[in-house]
Amino acid sequence: MTEDGVHRAWGWVAHLQAGGTTPWRDWTGAGDPRGRILPGAQQLELLRRLNGAGPTSPELAARVLEASAPGRGRPDLELEGAVPPLEFGPRPVDPADLPDDELIRVATMLLAEDVHAAGLPETEHPPRKRWRRRKYRLEGDVVLTGPIRADLVRHGRPPGGRGATVLVLGTDLGTMYTHAWTARSLSAGAPSWREWLDPHVKRGTVPGRIDLVKVAKAWSDRVGKERVRIVLDPAEVPRIIGVRRPAPAAEPLSADATDLARRVGQALGLLAVPTERRALLRETLRPRLAALPGAPLVLPAEHLERVHERATHLRDALLRAGYPVHGDLDSLLPADRAGVPEPSDAGVLAHALRLLLEKKR
Amino acid sequence: MATRVLLHVGTPKTGTSYLQDVLFRNRRTLASAGILYPADRFDAHFLAALDLMRLPWGGLEAEAVGAWDALAEKVRKHHGTAIISHEILATASRAQAGRALKSLGHGDGTEVHVVLSVRDLVRQIPAEWQENVKHRQALSYGNFLDQIRKPERDTRIATWFWGVQELPDILNRWGHDLPPERIHLVTVPPRGGPKNLLWKRFSVAFGLDGLDLDLEAERANPSLGAPETALVRRINRAANRELNPGDYRPLVRELLAHQTLSARTGSPRLALPPDVHPWVSEVTSSWIAEIERRGYDVVGDLHDLVGAPPVTQYADPDNPSEKQVSAAALDAIKALLLESARLRHNEERLEHELLETQKALERAYLRPTYRWREKLVRRLQSGSYGRGLLKAYRRVRGRSSRAA
Repeated sequence: MTEDGVHRAWGWVAHLQAGGTTPWRDWTGAGDPRGRILPGAQQLELLRRLNGAGPTSPELAARVLEASAPGRGRPDLELEGAVPPLEFGPRPVDPADLPDDELIRVATMLLAEDVHAAGLPETEHPPRKRWRRRKYRLEGDVVLTGPIRADLVRHGRPPGGRGATVLVLGTDLGTMYTHAWTARSLSAGAPSWREWLDPHVKRGTVPGRIDLVKVAKAWSDRVGKERVRIVLDPAEVPRIIGVRRPAPAAEPLSADATDLARRVGQALGLLAVPTERRALLRETLRPRLAALPGAPLVLPAEHLERVHERATHLRDALLRAGYPVHGDLDSLLPADRAGVPEPSDAGVLAHALRLLLEKKR
Repeated sequence: MATRVLLHVGTPKTGTSYLQDVLFRNRRTLASAGILYPADRFDAHFLAALDLMRLPWGGLEAEAVGAWDALAEKVRKHHGTAIISHEILATASRAQAGRALKSLGHGDGTEVHVVLSVRDLVRQIPAEWQENVKHRQALSYGNFLDQIRKPERDTRIATWFWGVQELPDILNRWGHDLPPERIHLVTVPPRGGPKNLLWKRFSVAFGLDGLDLDLEAERANPSLGAPETALVRRINRAANRELNPGDYRPLVRELLAHQTLSARTGSPRLALPPDVHPWVSEVTSSWIAEIERRGYDVVGDLHDLVGAPPVTQYADPDNPSEKQVSAAALDAIKALLLESARLRHNEERLEHELLETQKALERAYLRPTYRWREKLVRRLQSGSYGRGLLKAYRRVRGRSSRAA
């Protein structure tokens, strides 16, 4: 390392620790070493972006500088200009040139640590079960069933029981694909949206939970066809199970928030066992993500035709099977919805910065 | 506080599985000599490394939560020498290496030594590609070579490869603030040398000479030939999407690659393409010069890193002999059939056991007292008075189950 370059780098570290936002290439000051090694370019640039997004606490700044990105990817990189051209190891970089993905890797580990440290919210004691209640089960698209089931449980109407009517919930297939990916991102983990979606569309496969034909058939074999209903209008659920209160609407996350959940989930897998990770993602992180703005995820235009074809098969199969249907079976066909066809790294990083600052500001 | 820690940080494919197997099986003998190998399962140090480096590994990371801190605590509590060994530690970042050293007592009175076992790139490059294939990758050898030769090293494959193979950089990260005499390089001898020479070198580096250790290996990470690796790559391409990582590991990596295909030793071996040799020689020479300059302790001969000359008959795994791949595939099918048969027999046995248990349960249910109680409970449950009685009875008895 050149002495001047090292002092310039340590000066920049101090500047960032003090809340500075000057890019490395414009930095001319100097400072004395403050640690064993210079933090990596990814960590320093993340701190600079955090400072730009809001005041960063000294604790958060220290955590950022000590963090390492999880998983396989580029190692902590040296600052270009702080060290002479290296004969060995990865090339030094100008941190401003780093792709957002590199910064997200570091940020998601810090967020995972926050979520893990926050733990699970206190669970409310479930109220006594209502004596007279219609027994039900909610199956199908978990993004639709989740909030309705939670609301019913909160009001003393847990699912299950002998003679329960099975309600298989769904909506247009395009949206159900986005819901299925969201559900996986918030549980066992998922590849990126396109890595997950493209093979499904190419092969014409529909994931288990949203394959309403399979779900209905499985329950029909178990409890009898007369107790299975297809519900394509969730507003119908209260009427079917004899509740006056309207069903709560699903609160889909934005595309960027979902992708952030997926990435935090990967990092959280290194800190918590799978059941705990799933609960932390759904109960601790999800409410924070739901408050973030952003466009929802929609099916990319190039897949519309194939998904329409698949949805038509699904509709016809349900029609042939003859289950009672609440709502319009044509609503399974992909609808034109406003949204973005995939998450953006810039959006994901912006959300990550916001959550980190929310926690430690 | 341990007085001395020997931290073996890589590199992969340098006899590390064998070394770790010997150390694990001889823990008691080592302990009697005051040497701690802190592991309650064979892969304990692997899990600790995953935890330290926050590295996902096909779901295994869930078992690794907190493993590094637990390992470091055992080392700190030990009075004497402790050994830690795992090859993926080679890829740790500077910050992670710093954290590891500190947690083991570096800077706090403990003498930490870093050991790096090293092998020539002529063998390491094909071996690394093969490891990638055995970890579900489907990329061709040509693509792998292109990626590692790109100066930008911006792909995951290249990042990992250089992270675990670029010796001066690994030693920069791990040896940053250690004196050179506490950094030990163990070179892997060229192919065809005395069989136990590598062990002798490990023994010197880890101070194991004079101990009566059982050196019979139970675990190793055997290599595959060119057609066998090509076959596994094709299997990855065909089955990856459907086969979960938890099933891939025992079925493809263990059963097919390690237990079946590695036994086919007559097939052409994977090798470095002759046209890549000059570049490898150039890289290696710069490494040797740098290591000599730094003055580390070398156990063996640094010139072992030069490697063998180019092969005269190169077997390209991207264009393998289809006859050889078919023969390997037949062996694979046979192994899978035998495994299926074993599992079927297991299933039959379990079904039989389940049936016997069900029968025993039914016999218990058929006792007159059980039937009387069941009848009584049914009758009580049919009326509100009876349900109240049952509830009171269960409360008194202190049982939450509603079953009769």
